[in-house]
Amino acid sequence: MIDMIAKEDPIISEEEAAQYDRQIRLWGLDAQKRLRGSRVLLVGLGGLGAEVAKNLILAGVKGLTMLDHEKVSQESCRAQFLVPVTAQGENRAQASLERAQYLNPMVEVRAQAERAEDQPDDFFLQFDAVCLTCCSRDLMVRVDQLCSKHNIKVFCGNVYGYYGYMFSDLGPEYNYVEEKPKMVKPSGDTNDGPKAKKAKVDPNETTMVKKTASFCSLKEALEVDWTTEKAKAGLKRTPVDYFLLHVLLKFRTDKGRDPAPQSSGEDARLLRQIRDDVLESMGLNRELLSDDFVSYCFSEMAPVCAVVGGVLGQEVVKALSQRDAPHKNIFFFDGRKGNGVVDYFGPQ
Amino acid sequence: MVQLVGSLRKEVAESLSTCRVLVVGAGGIGCELLKNLVLTGFKNIEVIDLDIIDVSNLNRQFLFQKKHVGKSKAQVAKESVLQFCPTANITAYHDSIMNPDYNVEFFRNFMLVMNALDNRAARNHVNRMCLAADIPLIESGTAGYLGQVTVIKKGLTECYECQPKPTQKTFPGCTIRNTPSEPIHCIVWAKYLFNQLFGEEDADQEVSPDTADPEASWNPAETEARAMASETDGDIKRVSTKEWARSTGYDPAKLFNKLFKDDIMYLLTMDKLWKKRKAPLPLDWHQLESQGRPQGEVKAVGLKDQQVLGVWGYCQLFQHSIETLRSELQEKGDGAELVWDKDDAPALDFVTAAANLRMYIFSMTMKSRFDIKSMAGNIIPAIATTNAIIAGLIVMEGLKVVSGELESCRTIFLNKHPNLRKKLLVPCILDPPCANCYVCASRPEVTVKLNVLKTTVLALQDRILKERFGMVAPDVNIEDGKGTILISSEEGETDANNGKFLSDFGIRNGSRLQSDDFLQDYTLLINVLHAEDLEKDVEFEVVGDAPDKAPPPPSNQEDASSIANGNKDSAQPSTSNAAAEVDDVMIVESEGEEEEEASSSSAAAVPTSGTKRKHLDDETGEASVKRPRTNQSHESADAEDDDDDDDIIALD
Repeated sequence: MIDMIAKEDPIISEEEAAQYDRQIRLWGLDAQKRLRGSRVLLVGLGGLGAEVAKNLILAGVKGLTMLDHEKVSQESCRAQFLVPVTAQGENRAQASLERAQYLNPMVEVRAQAERAEDQPDDFFLQFDAVCLTCCSRDLMVRVDQLCSKHNIKVFCGNVYGYYGYMFSDLGPEYNYVEEKPKMVKPSGDTNDGPKAKKAKVDPNETTMVKKTASFCSLKEALEVDWTTEKAKAGLKRTPVDYFLLHVLLKFRTDKGRDPAPQSSGEDARLLRQIRDDVLESMGLNRELLSDDFVSYCFSEMAPVCAVVGGVLGQEVVKALSQRDAPHKNIFFFDGRKGNGVVDYFGPQ
Repeated sequence: MVQLVGSLRKEVAESLSTCRVLVVGAGGIGCELLKNLVLTGFKNIEVIDLDIIDVSNLNRQFLFQKKHVGKSKAQVAKESVLQFCPTANITAYHDSIMNPDYNVEFFRNFMLVMNALDNRAARNHVNRMCLAADIPLIESGTAGYLGQVTVIKKGLTECYECQPKPTQKTFPGCTIRNTPSEPIHCIVWAKYLFNQLFGEEDADQEVSPDTADPEASWNPAETEARAMASETDGDIKRVSTKEWARSTGYDPAKLFNKLFKDDIMYLLTMDKLWKKRKAPLPLDWHQLESQGRPQGEVKAVGLKDQQVLGVWGYCQLFQHSIETLRSELQEKGDGAELVWDKDDAPALDFVTAAANLRMYIFSMTMKSRFDIKSMAGNIIPAIATTNAIIAGLIVMEGLKVVSGELESCRTIFLNKHPNLRKKLLVPCILDPPCANCYVCASRPEVTVKLNVLKTTVLALQDRILKERFGMVAPDVNIEDGKGTILISSEEGETDANNGKFLSDFGIRNGSRLQSDDFLQDYTLLINVLHAEDLEKDVEFEVVGDAPDKAPPPPSNQEDASSIANGNKDSAQPSTSNAAAEVDDVMIVESEGEEEEEASSSSAAAVPTSGTKRKHLDDETGEASVKRPRTNQSHESADAEDDDDDDDIIALD
């Protein structure tokens, strides 16, 4: 049985039907209704956050709460399109509110100028899905553990220069549907040919198939043991982006921020050092991740935010509507190569 | 450590702030693209779009709000962008890129052109302009969850027209008129009917039974007799449908009886057609009226438009829509014609009713207005996220172009699900130009098979040169030693030639026609191959087109565009929204796809050629054979459909 999001069945108004027409034709009315009943928390309104906000607001969720403690900087104006240029010094979430709301007046958009770290557990539990950007590893692990227990869908993501990732935790037993075409078996009697069928079957008829998927926690995804034989054997087919992610997460843990152009020289040195430490602690060769990456992981590149924000936004939409196979469980984008891969990390 | 401005090297950032770029289209991809460009640091941007904003755009074209509906997309896009980036230098044109004002000189102003289009005619045109101006072009397309980006540079890569693109699927006349077997046939019939009754009448859009249907005859002699009879005697076809309708005062009951009773009874007399098919069932208005149930009994599931009415419901809809359309015609005065538009409620009502009644007659499951709108209007479902991803990739490629790193440019495919190599985004090496491309080869030539005795000059201009070969304003002269001018792009100069046949000018097998489009700086040499054995409904064939698995002849090209676009001349800019929701997206393909029957799909736009292309996977260098997708919105075509079993299974 597909578990229903426990909400009253929201009615789609004529106005909504007209506005959402082109997406209802893609994912169906049922999915749109589920979106229409969903509340989402978005942490971090940097470049990636703004993209996710836009995508979810346009999709027509019930409510989006934007939480951020950071202030609008000069960088912010280059990074995202929701803050007005005059808003420097203001809180990023609050400065984004007006333009975010304009995107779709039918969505309840809220802004909270607070730290995610300071929020009590209860706070997170009011949402159907939580989306974490610009967050430290510890915070993400904590929130993921909390939300997963309560059947709240968790997404994490970040953009570092040309690189970006998104992670999903939809819980140990995630139910969804896929639309498959109904197979029309050819008639057994070949003499008559297809036109002899009594009733005409619409070749475009489809059927909804129920499926289940299982997700692990962020903690498990990050704590893969690479010293086992099996892991070593799989190393060749593993995207190195995974290890890059570890380096960047460690950087944030140590410095409280992502690599910044203002301190590029020093940050570059630190990144290389962290790379050495991280790979060594995993029992892996430091050459797995070449020095190259260091020049390309500074600041948030707008087009990379657009790509990662698009993938992340769509995963949230899928999860809220419980339709179509989710990516499992990490998506990596390498903007230098144009490569976008999805791979699973965690217990088998 | 290099000096950075944000994420970019200083030199690149500086190039961005000085170079000029052109964005063609301010819709789904265009809005996202403009946003990405200014945020990345591009300062001088020109954007052009002929369209105005519609409420159905608002789910993804985020630069527009409800209050902007009806306004120019290019204009409003510019204003919205300036809101978050006041220092950007943006020029907006509410115009068609095919307007001759935008000549080669205009294109040469730009370092880079990026397409954000939704129709092939404009893509072909911009392709040629960029080749002529030798400016790099980034081409892209999206449909549903799928998308694609590629880079086109003269001499270095394939141009947009190097690989033949699938043509719009069309159906043979007798299928539409006599033996429909799928809902789409009935919908096409209903659109033809609309034109016959209320719009521009077209000899290729007949709705009455086709007495000359070869399938109806028991032997070849009978076929000939039928063909001659239908031409000579006072048949159903003789009186124009519109004249007849007018003579009845557009009486719905009379129209109903002719179309759904009398004509069907006539079809029944062509008994051979029904030997192996279920015969159609003629309708009787009064009988249906007495059987009709009030609508209130049925509980509605879904949107109002998604309800499927009973047959009596469609009789009523037929009546009401005719009455409305009749008034509209009257208001417009003498000689007035209506143009079919999916967003025009009575027009859509009419097609919904007529198509469903016909479906009922031919024992097909009737469809909701919602579904019919999709099929008749060729709607391609669209969402914000796919466009956001593709527009992000466009700028990534754009940065490479601006940095002079063309060799690192790629074609990138966006899948719905990761492929066997775990890739959701698949970059592929760009292919070099095709040596015999009829656009970018040094002296392009084609051979066209046609009947010189039956092909008019007008048909050559409109169907062949404009529709098939993408010219906008062709000039044609015959290579006969005298350089006889056949067609002049100057208005009116060669109108007198239009109705004449090619043979009247001495054109015969082996003749060569030099065709130029001066705006596109494009010359095509056409070798004429005379043939009298072309299939019914086929006006011409381009020799050397990749053969299909089961090649349906590219019948009646004009048919194709009017089915797809609701707008006859696809070369001209449309002022209505009708033509905007149009045919195609770039072919979006993914690896390891199951071979598929070219089934008729819910959109009339279905690829008909199964061209195989090898795209080298960037990393592995492996070649993967790709097939064009048929219906984008049905994900049956997805890579990795390894589900033979449709049971409940865990993913892994």
